[in-house]
Order: sequence, then structure tokens, then C-alpha cells
Amino acid sequence: MDKLGQEWVSAAVDGEAGPQALADLASDKSSHDKWRNYHLIGDAMRGELPQTLQLDLSDSIAAALEREPAILAPVAQPQESVSRPANVVPLFKQFGQYAIAAAVALVAVVGVQNYSGSGSSDEAASPVLMTRPLVGGASPVSYQEGEFQQQRPGYTNEQLNEQRRRINSYIQDHMLQQRLNAGVVMDNNNEVVTVPLNQ
Amino acid sequence: MRLILLAFLAFALPAFAQEQLSAKAWLENMSQALREKQFKISLIQLQVDSIRPLIYIHGKVEGKEVAFLEHLNGPIKNAVRVGNIVTFIEHDQPAYSMLANRIQGVIPAAFAGDVAELEQGYNLVLGGRTRIAGRTGQMIRLVPNDEYRYAFQVWIDTDTYLPLRYDMLSQDKQLLEQLLVIELVETKTPAPILEEAYKQEWPPVMSPSEREDGQNWQFNWLPAGFKVIVRDHHRLIGTHEPVEYIALTDGLSNISIYVARSGDAPIPEELMTRDGISMASERVGNLEVVAVGKVPTQTLVRIASGLRLD
Repeated sequence: MDKLGQEWVSAAVDGEAGPQALADLASDKSSHDKWRNYHLIGDAMRGELPQTLQLDLSDSIAAALEREPAILAPVAQPQESVSRPANVVPLFKQFGQYAIAAAVALVAVVGVQNYSGSGSSDEAASPVLMTRPLVGGASPVSYQEGEFQQQRPGYTNEQLNEQRRRINSYIQDHMLQQRLNAGVVMDNNNEVVTVPLNQ
Repeated sequence: MRLILLAFLAFALPAFAQEQLSAKAWLENMSQALREKQFKISLIQLQVDSIRPLIYIHGKVEGKEVAFLEHLNGPIKNAVRVGNIVTFIEHDQPAYSMLANRIQGVIPAAFAGDVAELEQGYNLVLGGRTRIAGRTGQMIRLVPNDEYRYAFQVWIDTDTYLPLRYDMLSQDKQLLEQLLVIELVETKTPAPILEEAYKQEWPPVMSPSEREDGQNWQFNWLPAGFKVIVRDHHRLIGTHEPVEYIALTDGLSNISIYVARSGDAPIPEELMTRDGISMASERVGNLEVVAVGKVPTQTLVRIASGLRLD
């Protein structure tokens, strides 16, 4: 554009051009850049520039408009969260494992709760047994089934309760012993050294 | 198996040459850090049937180790250690003190003890690094030398050498127990609660009068590294049944052996609780030998069947 044209655009920016001149300007696409730059210069001189200067504002607005449907449309979202499942899934797997275990444990508690309050020193951690005689259906990890099948028919409920009570007292005693034995000094000669508890 | 593991160890070492630390050295540093450093850790203890949040604070007051363990959920259950006296403060009974150089039940005592003892039963193998509690953890595997004990993995903070995570794995790689640190803060001075605990007067150390010498039971077989640490006879809690008692340990796993009169309903020959405690029993005449511990059931079966009275 020639020098004269530039002055004309400049006059229009400063509001010194008539309506006819503005209409001409609007129809002259090559002057639009100048129009924007002169406004920018004017803003800068008046100290009205925004903190982040978008020199190519119209382009970025056009780009934003193009992107907008993608943001609104839910289908476009998975692109961003592709990497997430890899992080989330193992965590849930682990939780699932504990949740299942907890559910099984709840079933098991039904079988042992009737005596769980009998003098337990460690109620929060009282063990939940997983044996066939105590809880129907739960498969024990290493329980010799044949042996017990032979014994079981002869058992009354009282005997089964007695059995559970004894199993639990052994386990509770074992856990209590961990505290009592903690002071035992181990030496390298395989000798038994008991706690000098009465000092 | 052992050779393969040793070969792996030899192969793995150069890869971490920048550290120049062997698996054993890492564990030794951890043992020292657990005894020497002043820190506060928030952690959760995961077992198959429970999740427990805990706080463990450790420091030194006037040269003495002071530690405080608090269970954050449920009824009050705390433990305080000053020097080698541990006091248990629990909701359902008066506080009592025991002689012990560690608070039992959370961080395995062996981790703060002599690492050489662990080498009898386990191969110590360097593993990879993981980010835990916002820190970098170096994994050390404790691979059992035989099939008679469970495997362990511990992650050690590369900065403080304090443990960040600990797993106990069954033989089929199932997680039996996990300790996971959420936050670890190292402090320059002991926490105020530890200074208070140091000044506090705790109940005198309990002298269990019922702890009498037991019979001279002998084992014709024990897994390598396991030793007898206690023999006595006492009454079981709960049933008050008199038993002959023997305690075995290899530093990480504890086994209790009981000899008692067998009841009307004998205990099943083998069983296992969901959090990894196994039990095995064997009838000998009108007596029964019961073995309990966090080890594979076949270990207990073999130990129980090898018991005899000299």
C-alpha cells in the first residue's frame, strides 16, 4: 500500500475519517492489518496494552473458534486422557484385591464372632480364620480335607465351637508372645538366653 | 537357584555402580538410620483383612532412643519406647511395660538389627527404584534360601536410608502384608512428644512370674537360621489351658510351638488365616503339638513332627 493509503488508515484509527472513508476502509481487506497495528500502537502509547500481547489476535481467535466444537463435544476428550488409564488401573486392581479380601473376611467373621470378645488383648487385629470347619465354602490354602471329612460327622456344635476357641487362643497367645519375646537377646552360639525380666 | 540369584546379584551390582552399595550395605544403612535418625513417619499397614493407619516417631533424647507409635483408627492403642523399655498404652487394660529394644508389630525388628543374621535364611538382592511418599526408594529383595519361609521386599529411601515400604509375599507371590509410608519427615531435634515421653514416669517393667523354665524339648529339624529363643510353660490367654511353649525365630519370622493336652475336638492338622498366620498340629498320644507362625504351613508341619523330649 502506498504512503497516502497508510495516512488514510491512520486518520481512520484516530477517528478523523468520515463515514464514507470508513466504509471504503472496511471494503479494503489489505488495510485491515494496518488498522489493527495502528490501534495496537495507539494502545501502547496510552499504556493500555494487556499483559500478554497477542499480536496475531484475529488468527488466535479464529483458531480458538475452530477448536471450540472439539472442547464441547465429549467424543473428542479421550485424546487428552489416553495416558491416564495406565496409571489408574493398577491402583484399582490393588484396591479390588483388598476389597474382595475384605468381603471374604466379612463372611469369615460371621463364623468366629461369637467368641471373638473373650479376653482378646488385640481385638482390632484378632485373626480371622479361613478353614472349612469354621466357614462353609471358604477354601483353605492348605487344609487336609480327607482327614477332616472323617472326623467331622462326629462333631457337635459345641465341639466345633470349642475347636474354634482353642485355635483362636493359640493364635492370640502367639501374637502376645511376640511382645513378651521381644526383649530376648539372640547371640550367635545358638544358646537360649531368656529375658532378665525380674530385674 | 542360589547360584542364579548370586549371578544376578553380581550382574546387577555394576548397574548401580554410582551408588557403590550392595544390598547388604543398603540394609545396614537402614538399620543404622532406624536407630540413629530423628524422624516422623505416617504409614499404613495393609493386611488381607485390615488397613491400619499409624504414626511412628523416633528420636534421641539425652542420648537415649525414644520412639512413639500410635494407631490412628479405632480404640486407643499406643506404644512408647524409652531406651529398652516399651510401654503399651491400650484402651482395655492398664498400661504395662516390657523389656524390648524395638516396638513390635510394625517395622520388623530385624530391620533395625544385625543384617548378618538375615543372611542365613535369605539372599539379599538389589532391585529397582520406585517413587514412594514423594521420595526415591531403592528396593532390596530378601529372597528365601529354601521353601520354608516367606519372601520380603523393602524399599529404602535413597536420601535418609529409612524404609519407605515393606512387603511380605507368600510363595505364590501373593501379598500377605504391606507397610506403606505416606509421609516421612526427618527432624534435627527430637519431637516434643518424645521429650515428654522421656520425662514421663512409665509403669515398672512387668515381671511375668508365670514365666518358668520349660522342659528340654529338642527338634530333630529346624530350617536354617531358626533358633530357639524362649522355652517356658504358661497358660494360654483366653482358654487358660496350660501349655509347654517354645519360641523360634530367624530374625524376620517368629514361630511358636505349643505342647498341650489335646481337647475333645482336636485342632485341624493344617490351617491358615487370611493374613498369613499358619497353624499345624500333630497328635502324639493324648498330647497335641501345635505350631503357629507367619511361615508356610509345611514348615510348621515339619517342625511339629520333629519335636521330641530329651
